[in-house]
Amino acid sequence: MTKAFRLPRVLFLLLTMLSIVACSVPPTTPQGQTPTEAPAQSGATEPTAAPAAADPAAAPAASGDGALTDVGTPRSETLIFQTFDRQTANPDLHNPLMGTYAVWRGFRELAWGYLWEMDTGTGQSYPELAADMPEVLNDEYTRFRVKLRPGIYWSDGVEFTADDVIFTLDTYFENKDKLTYWGVATITNYVKSYEKIDDYTFEVETVNPAYDFVTVLGVYTWGSALNIVPKHIFEKEADVAAFRNTNPVTLGPYVVKEFDPNGFWQLWERREDWERSAWGSQGEPKPKYVLYKDFGPEETRTLAFVENQYDVDTFMSPESIKAAVAQNSAISPYSPTMPYHDMNDACSYGVLMNQHRPPLDKAEVRWALALALDLQDVGINALSGEFKASPLPMVDTQILNPIYFAPLQGWLNDFALSDGYKPFNPNFGAELVGKLTEMGLPADQMPQGDEAIKNAFGVGWWKYDPAEAEKLLGSVGITKNADGIYTLPDGSVWELEFVIPGDWNKVMQRVGFSIADSWRKAGIQVNARQVDNAEFGTVQNTNSQLTTLLNWTNCIFSPNYLNAWRSIQPEFLLPVDSPDTITGNMYRWSNEKVFDLVKASYSMETTSPEFYEYGREIIKEFVTDMAYINLMNIPTTIPTNSTYWRNFPKADNPYAVPYSWWSSAKKILQNIEPTGAK
Amino acid sequence: MGLLQYIGQRLLTYVAVLFIGISITFFLPRLMPNDPIDGYIAQIQSRAGQTLTPEAAAEIRATLTELYGLEGSLFTQYLNYLRRVVFGFDFGPSFSAFPRPVSELIMLALPWTLGLLLTTTVISWLLGNLIGLLAGYYHNRRFATALEVLGVLIYPIPYYILALTLILLLAYTWKLFPLSTTIRPAPLSLAQIGSILYNSALPALTLVIAGFGWNILSMKSLSVATKEEPFVTFARLKGTSDRTRMFSYVFRNALLPQVTALALSLGTIFNGALLTEMLFSYPGLGLLMRTAVGNGDYNMLYGTITMTIFAVATAALVIDLIYPLFDPRIRYR
Amino acid sequence: MKQLLRLRGAAALPVGESAEAQRGRLKLNLRLKIGLTILAFFAIASFTLPFFTDVDPAQQGTYLKNLPISWKHPLGTNTQGQSIFWYLVFAVRNSLALGITVAICISFISTMVGLSAGYIGGWYERLVMLLIDSVITIPVLPILIILSALVRGKTSFFLVGLIIVCFGWAWGARTVRSLALSLREREFVNMARFSGANTFQIITREIFPYVYAYMVVNFINTILFAINTEAALAVLGLSKVEVPTLGSILFWALNYNALFIGQRTWVIAPIVASVLLFLGLFLTSTGYNDLFAARRGRA
Repeated sequence: MTKAFRLPRVLFLLLTMLSIVACSVPPTTPQGQTPTEAPAQSGATEPTAAPAAADPAAAPAASGDGALTDVGTPRSETLIFQTFDRQTANPDLHNPLMGTYAVWRGFRELAWGYLWEMDTGTGQSYPELAADMPEVLNDEYTRFRVKLRPGIYWSDGVEFTADDVIFTLDTYFENKDKLTYWGVATITNYVKSYEKIDDYTFEVETVNPAYDFVTVLGVYTWGSALNIVPKHIFEKEADVAAFRNTNPVTLGPYVVKEFDPNGFWQLWERREDWERSAWGSQGEPKPKYVLYKDFGPEETRTLAFVENQYDVDTFMSPESIKAAVAQNSAISPYSPTMPYHDMNDACSYGVLMNQHRPPLDKAEVRWALALALDLQDVGINALSGEFKASPLPMVDTQILNPIYFAPLQGWLNDFALSDGYKPFNPNFGAELVGKLTEMGLPADQMPQGDEAIKNAFGVGWWKYDPAEAEKLLGSVGITKNADGIYTLPDGSVWELEFVIPGDWNKVMQRVGFSIADSWRKAGIQVNARQVDNAEFGTVQNTNSQLTTLLNWTNCIFSPNYLNAWRSIQPEFLLPVDSPDTITGNMYRWSNEKVFDLVKASYSMETTSPEFYEYGREIIKEFVTDMAYINLMNIPTTIPTNSTYWRNFPKADNPYAVPYSWWSSAKKILQNIEPTGAK
Repeated sequence: MGLLQYIGQRLLTYVAVLFIGISITFFLPRLMPNDPIDGYIAQIQSRAGQTLTPEAAAEIRATLTELYGLEGSLFTQYLNYLRRVVFGFDFGPSFSAFPRPVSELIMLALPWTLGLLLTTTVISWLLGNLIGLLAGYYHNRRFATALEVLGVLIYPIPYYILALTLILLLAYTWKLFPLSTTIRPAPLSLAQIGSILYNSALPALTLVIAGFGWNILSMKSLSVATKEEPFVTFARLKGTSDRTRMFSYVFRNALLPQVTALALSLGTIFNGALLTEMLFSYPGLGLLMRTAVGNGDYNMLYGTITMTIFAVATAALVIDLIYPLFDPRIRYR
Repeated sequence: MKQLLRLRGAAALPVGESAEAQRGRLKLNLRLKIGLTILAFFAIASFTLPFFTDVDPAQQGTYLKNLPISWKHPLGTNTQGQSIFWYLVFAVRNSLALGITVAICISFISTMVGLSAGYIGGWYERLVMLLIDSVITIPVLPILIILSALVRGKTSFFLVGLIIVCFGWAWGARTVRSLALSLREREFVNMARFSGANTFQIITREIFPYVYAYMVVNFINTILFAINTEAALAVLGLSKVEVPTLGSILFWALNYNALFIGQRTWVIAPIVASVLLFLGLFLTSTGYNDLFAARRGRA
């Protein structure tokens, strides 16, 4: 009889062993959400405490070893970024004229130079290769003269002159059918003619009045349409479209030292003559080496981050950051208080609706969707509350707030729907704080005071009122049936398809499912469908595929709203089930007043009060029609590890915004200091 | 019926299968509701900060349509495709890595996939079958049950979790292996091979552990069944040793279905161990395929799927031709 | 049950059977018993418990997030504010239902096709083999990915199962056919044929019992193949991840990086459930295997 029980005994033993093994694994993190140590990153962080206080198992890690990184450079001299994309498809294609080149390996920040850069913190353009802002030569704003700064050299010692710019423009025009960089098409449609005046001066004539000259030939937010290439290298190529330009001659202070032929990493080395580079003269870039590497999916790279194997992450999820902070005191998010992360990305998330497709063609239905969406709940479920809501169709940043948000505050408070209901909730932030405190977040992590709360969580959002939503839907014939699901006037259940990004954008994926969940609770039959990025683009751009979509259409960074709203014109509207790609007016919006406003603002000075006033009027129409349900600023979660480098930009040290893939990266490289840890 | 006739018919089937497979491969991705050009343009629109004017977008679309070879009716595209593939093994340029040809990308990823998956499949097959044989042959003993339990516990654990646990244990808690692969481009020296092996050890280990659980169980049941056969009893009565009976009688016979399984699974390694590659940043075919589907990169999909079809069809052909060597009881019809 | 088996066994075996044989019989009863108990537990629990709650476990934010294990929440809550215990119950139910349905379909199709192809031969066999080979050579994963991209979100959960069936039957059919080929030439088959049995009788009465051993093992494998494929698809995000299944728990747990942030219950609970489920299935099938072996007489 004893032997009969052997099998279950063995089983039991093995199962217990397995569970013990599973539980004995890494140092435990406290349940719940409190990062107990989120050190304020001031300039005087004591370097010696950091590595010692860090994970005690850090010592024998491959790159924490004291000496070399995995690519053979001294760790204390190498700044390591987690790449923006995982694996690049074309690791040896370093030719910026082809759209699929390995851009995310650091080219935009380290290798190229631009005529005018944009300070992503202020939204102002400043000259980089150019000596100054362009001189406008005629009243119609079509002819410009640009002077270049002398003393800039390519990394092979050849001087940068206007010849390179002219050559680049020539190449654009001659090869526009073969080059796949998006800027080629933009420039060839924008520029009419150009000529060299002397080695450091050239003139350009544009097709239309160009109030945005600086942001088209220079940088707008992220990239520039004009990528200047070295004439003395490219002119030797018979076919520039086929030219790989591997290990290129660069204008910036870094050159490519080594790269992974499989596309997972790239190593840059600082030029000896960095002062003569495009932006080196503005300050010494501190790291001798910069490595962009993919440390794997979040499950593995959080481990590597805690092991101090790299310094800056891109888009780690909020919960992982909290857990990492708890395990390693050298790791910190942007801010020690909620919402912990910088919210000044150029774009905002929102729900794009196909306004041609019934019942979404009625403003009441669109408003009902907005009122049936519990954004507080969605933010808590998907993002642990770390988000900044924005009720207007643009990002709520320090640049745009004074121009568009603050002046409209009163209007928002008083705004009423056709039945007199006032949907705006200015206490959104305070209520969110209340919910988070109830969930266990300590009070010292919360912003204190009305001002701080509004800065953190936004000026407000729409009320969560399913009852009012029901009333609105009822007014157009959509009522709840016996099961509590909304049905159309003809008796069929109202099925709402909601397309969301798949794994390729985890934050939006979670937000999307939470939104669908929220709508379902209100009684709407939502069919949430997650898609790959190719299909996402198709759904966004094709009427026949689009019902509702979670996306980021509103990318307005500087006060020039025309960059996103320029194409809200009737000629871009297509029939509701058209299979053709839409090329403008993404909102599928038909509003005569807005058409006129937009058209009128084409010919205005983009920094004039009149231009801003028109912008505010357009915003009012957006809200009245609920043409686009804007949700929140994109939360950019960029934690940093200060074991080897310190003085990253933080909330209390905001010398730049923390994005490592914008112009702010240049400022970051110039301001960080080595901690001296080996 | 002659041997030659059999081989001839088998080869005809082989060609027919290839043709059907390749044709289905062509049409299936076209059914996908995504358009690679749209995807690319949408990506640009989001990153270019909306400076992409509609005219510019239309131009890009026209350029790409022509460059990608997506003009013309579906049927003309199909014929072009057949011609290129059959005569030149050329799948055209990859869309997401334009203008790099697909065959180049596949050739780069192939050695990684082959190296890792070939070795791990064979190792886990061998290991699993040997252990299963022991467990099956001595199925009344205690250790047999323990081995069986081992297989039972390991097999249902989803691969991803198994891999994560192993990473946590072997690369984080006890730092035996690196957390992510870093293989520097260098000529194939001993040091380079060492580096490759060191970086591949953890993915290989997870694949072997994940794979041999099933082999243990199936081999055990097969050997138990075979052991009951009269010829085995006869051998025992004849006085052959345990070991001879185990290997020459039971193993050889129980192995037959397993050999079929091995051949077919060798063919399917071209799928790439997708989850392995995702988790370990391993540059193999699986990752290539996944990103191809994600980006609507038709040409890449054709290339990778066709490779797999070719490999599996060939493996099946080889098996059918040499199976009679293993099992002389089969007559050709 | 025990008495019956002992009686039968006593009738079949010679007098003075070895202690080992006796032990073996007890062990197989035990094996079968444990297996069936586990399965019964899972089946009953997962199919009846849902009636005791009217909260949809897939709804987010029902409870506070990340609560530890307590009486109110037997396995705690996860980062989406759902009760892990109730989610798991529904998940096991859905996975089991899917797995069994798919396995039944696949086993039926592959056995019939494989057996008939192996035994009948001729034109029939060639045609069937062409079909099988075509299905086998097309690689499953990219096609699954493509098909799920078409199907996902647009249709019901069970269509995911149908897709799995479409790709799961071919391999089994091929293997069964090889087995049938080997068996076809055996003496007892010829004898049956000469005795006048028709094709169908031969297939079912003579060949099938030999194939049965492998098929039963294959059946469990297929159930697990179905559950694991659905789980793999879910982890890749290609299944309907809002429907609770073992795969979708893992999908969400991994999405929120549960192991790292300390939410281990979220990951471990479904794994333990899967392991136990497989254990149950496995013990049952090998238990039956041994039972049939005992009936036939063992060496």
